[in-house]
Amino acid sequence: MQIKIVIGTIAFMIAMMVLGYSALREPSRMERFTDAELGRSIEAGAEIFANNCATCHGVDGTAQECFDTTGNQIACQGLPLNYNGLLCGDVSQRMSDMGWTGTKHDYILTTVSAGRGSIMPTWSDAFGGPLRPDQIRNVTNFVLNYESEALCSQPLVTYEWPESATDFLAGPDITAPGDPARGQELFTVTYGCSACHGTIDGSTPAAIGPSLVDIETVGATMVEGMDAQQYVYHSILYPSDFIAPECPTGPCAGPPSVMPANFGARMGENPQDMADILAYLLGQ
Amino acid sequence: MATFVEQVREMGIKKAVVTKSDEIVERLTAGMNINDIRAALRGDEPRRPNPRLRPHADGFWLHIRPSFYHTGVTNIYPTFRLGWLSTFMLVWETITGLILMVFYTPSPLVAYGNMWNILGNVPLGQLFRNMHRLGAEVMVLVVAMHMLRTFITGSYKKPRQFTWATGMLLLLFTIFLSFSGYLLPWDQLAYWALTVFISGGAAAPAPAFVNDTVLLVLQGGPALGADGLLRWYLLHVLLLPLLAGIFFFVHYYKVVLYGISLPPGREQVGEDTAKRVPKDERTYFNPDILTSELMWTALATLFLVAGALWLWDAPLETHADPVVTPLHVVAPWYLSWSQGWLKLADKTLVVGFIPLLLVSFIIMPYIEVGKSRRYADRRVGLTVAFLFIAFMLVSNWMGSPEFRVQSSPDREVSIQLLPEEGPGGLKGIPYEHMTPGTYSPGQVIDGNPFLTRGLELFQQAMYQQSCTLTGNPQWAPCNVEELENGGHRYSNFFTTDAMPDPIAHLEIVEIQPNLKEMTLHYEVTNPDTGEVTETVWIRPRHAFSNYEEECRFLNKSCATD
Repeated sequence: MQIKIVIGTIAFMIAMMVLGYSALREPSRMERFTDAELGRSIEAGAEIFANNCATCHGVDGTAQECFDTTGNQIACQGLPLNYNGLLCGDVSQRMSDMGWTGTKHDYILTTVSAGRGSIMPTWSDAFGGPLRPDQIRNVTNFVLNYESEALCSQPLVTYEWPESATDFLAGPDITAPGDPARGQELFTVTYGCSACHGTIDGSTPAAIGPSLVDIETVGATMVEGMDAQQYVYHSILYPSDFIAPECPTGPCAGPPSVMPANFGARMGENPQDMADILAYLLGQ
Repeated sequence: MATFVEQVREMGIKKAVVTKSDEIVERLTAGMNINDIRAALRGDEPRRPNPRLRPHADGFWLHIRPSFYHTGVTNIYPTFRLGWLSTFMLVWETITGLILMVFYTPSPLVAYGNMWNILGNVPLGQLFRNMHRLGAEVMVLVVAMHMLRTFITGSYKKPRQFTWATGMLLLLFTIFLSFSGYLLPWDQLAYWALTVFISGGAAAPAPAFVNDTVLLVLQGGPALGADGLLRWYLLHVLLLPLLAGIFFFVHYYKVVLYGISLPPGREQVGEDTAKRVPKDERTYFNPDILTSELMWTALATLFLVAGALWLWDAPLETHADPVVTPLHVVAPWYLSWSQGWLKLADKTLVVGFIPLLLVSFIIMPYIEVGKSRRYADRRVGLTVAFLFIAFMLVSNWMGSPEFRVQSSPDREVSIQLLPEEGPGGLKGIPYEHMTPGTYSPGQVIDGNPFLTRGLELFQQAMYQQSCTLTGNPQWAPCNVEELENGGHRYSNFFTTDAMPDPIAHLEIVEIQPNLKEMTLHYEVTNPDTGEVTETVWIRPRHAFSNYEEECRFLNKSCATD
C-alpha cells in the first residue's frame, strides 16, 4: 500500500508540473493560434476570391486580367482592390472619397456584404447573397492582406476628369491635339480596346462591343447635345451611361455595359493617353 | 460538549486547537480522526471498534462502496480496473466539458469562432479541449474493453445478467455522448460526419413518414442547421449525461449487490461466492482499495494531461459548409465499422441490423445460460467472440477511405499532398522554405531539405497513381485492359485507374504578402486518342497558418522533418 501512495503522489505531482509547464508556454502558443486563425481565414478568403471575385476584380485584384468560367479573357468590370488608394493609410483615398468614417476593415466588409451600385452584387446572405458571415470575414481579411510596403510606397494617382472633353483637352497636363500614332498603339495593345471593338478601319471586325468604324461621324448622332468627341470621351469614362444600339452579337447589353468601368482609373495615371486615343479615334 | 472557548480555558490554546481539528476531521471523514488516518496510512491494524468502517455507514460518498472486497478481485486480473476507469473517464469528461461549456455557444454563427477563441484566447484552452476530446475517445475504448473483459471472464452469467444489460446501454450512451460532441465545433469534419450518420439513420426499415420525421427531428430542418446544432448540443450536455448518470447508478448498485465475480477458476462451477468472503480473504476498502484508486486516478490524470499536451491534438477543420462535401468523409474510429458495412450492403439492411445486434447483445446472458464460467468449458462462445472482434476490426478498416473509395488518380495525389482539410505531405513545409518556382516530382532542391522531402512525397504519391507505356523508369509499367467500347483501362499494383505517362509538376507562387499559392499540375495524354487532359489543384497557404504543428501532432506524413 505504501508504494501505491508514493506512486500516486509522484504521478499527481508530475501531472501538476506538466500543467504548470504548459501554462508557462501559453502566451506564445495563444499568439501562434491567433495568427493561425487569421492565416487560415486569409487562405479561405483567397479561395472565395478566386471563385467569385476574380472574374471582375482580376486574378491578382488589380482589375487588369479577368477570365470567365471557361478560361477566356474578358474585360474586368470591377475596381482594383490590390490598389494603394483602397488599402493604404488608416483612412485610404477611397474611404475619404466615399465619406466612410469607420474602419478600413468595416468599409471592405460592408461593401462585400451589401454590394455597391448596379454592378457589385450583394454577397452576404443577410442581404440575399450567397456567402455566410464567416466567409465575408474571410474575403475581407484576404483583400486587406494585399496591403504591403511595396504597394503603399507607390504614388497614389488621382485625376479629376473634367465633365467636358474640351475642358479636358485644354487642361494644363495635356498636349492637345493628341498623337494618333500613339493612340493607335494604346487602342490595340496597351488597353486592348480592339479585342472587343475591332479596328477602326474595319479590317478586323468588332467581336463584342459596337464597331467604331466612322465613329467620328456616327458618334455625333448618338446623344443629343453631344458631339462625337464628347460622346467618346464620356463613354470611355462611364461605359454604362449610354448603351450603343448595335453590337456584333445583336443589341448591346446593359446597362450595366459589359465594357470595363475602370479605364478612367487606369488612364488617370497618364491622362495624355485619353487625348491620344481621342485623336486616333476621331481622326484629328 | 464544551464550546471552543471553554476548551481553551480548560486545556490551553495549543491542545484545544488540536482537539478541535481532530473533531473536525472526524466529522469530515464521517468517523476517522487524525490518528485513525495516520494508522491506516502506516498500515497498522485498526482499533476496536473499527473506525475505518464508519465512513461506509455514516458518510454519503462511501455508503455506496462496499467496506471490503474479496482479495481475489483486487489484483489487475480479472478486472483490469476497467470499470473503475470508465467511471473516472465519466467524471473527467464532466469536469473538462463544464470548463469548455463556459466558452461555447451552440449557434452556427459563432460556434466555429468559439473554437478559435478557445485555441487562441483562453489560457490552457487548447489543453482542455484536447483533454476532453482525447478523454472521449479513451472512454469509448475503456468502456468497450470493460465489456469485452466481462464477456471473457463470463461475468455476465447469472446473477449478473441485468448488470450486463445496463452495461450495454452505458456503452451505447458512451458512444452517443462521444459522437454527439463531434458536431459541436461546427467544422467540416463535424458537419459531414453527422450528416452521413443522420441520413444513414433515416434509412431504417420503417415507414417513410417515420424516417422522415426522425430525420427532421435530428437535423432540426431539411439540412443540419442552427436548430440541429442546438439539439445535438442539448443531447450532449443534458440528456445523454443524465441517462448515463441514471444507468451508471443502476449498474453500480448491481455490482455492489452481487459483488465483483471472482476469477473463473476460483470457485466451483455453478457457484457464485463473490459475496461469501472468508475473513482471511478480505481486503478492506479503507485504506487499501481507496489508496489504490487514488493512485490510479493520479496515473490516469497524468496520462491524459501529458497525452493531450504532447501526443495528440484535437483536430479542427475549416468552417462547416453545407455546399462543399470533402472528398473523404469518415466516421470516427468507433463507428467506422458501420461505414464499412454501408459500403458493402444495402443501407436499410445495415441500419436495421445494428439495433438487432444491440438487442441481441443485451439479452445474450438470458439466452446463453451455460453454468460454467471456466474458459475450457466455453470454447464455442469465446471463439465466436474473437471471430466477432476480428470481424469488427476488418469492418473498421473497410470504413476507412482505403477501402473502395477512389476518385480520379490526380485527385488522390492532390488529397495526399495538399488536402482541403488537415495536414498533408506538402502542407507541413515551413512557409519560408516554400521557394517560388516550378518543381517536378522527386526533384532534389539543394539547401532545402523540406521542399526536397515534399517533392519526394509527391513522387511517391504519383508513383502509386501512375504507370508507363513507354518504359519511363519513373513509373511502373502499365497493365492494360481492353474495355468494351474499344478504350483501355490502365492499372498498376496499387490502383485500377492509373494515369498513363503523366506529366506533373508543382508550382509555387507568391500571390500576396505572406500568402503563397501551391498548384499541382497534371497533364495526361490519352494513348488511344492523343487527347490531352490538364487538371490543376490549387491551395493557398499563409505564413501564419501553422500546419507544421498539426502535422507533428496528428502524425501524418508531412515534410516537416
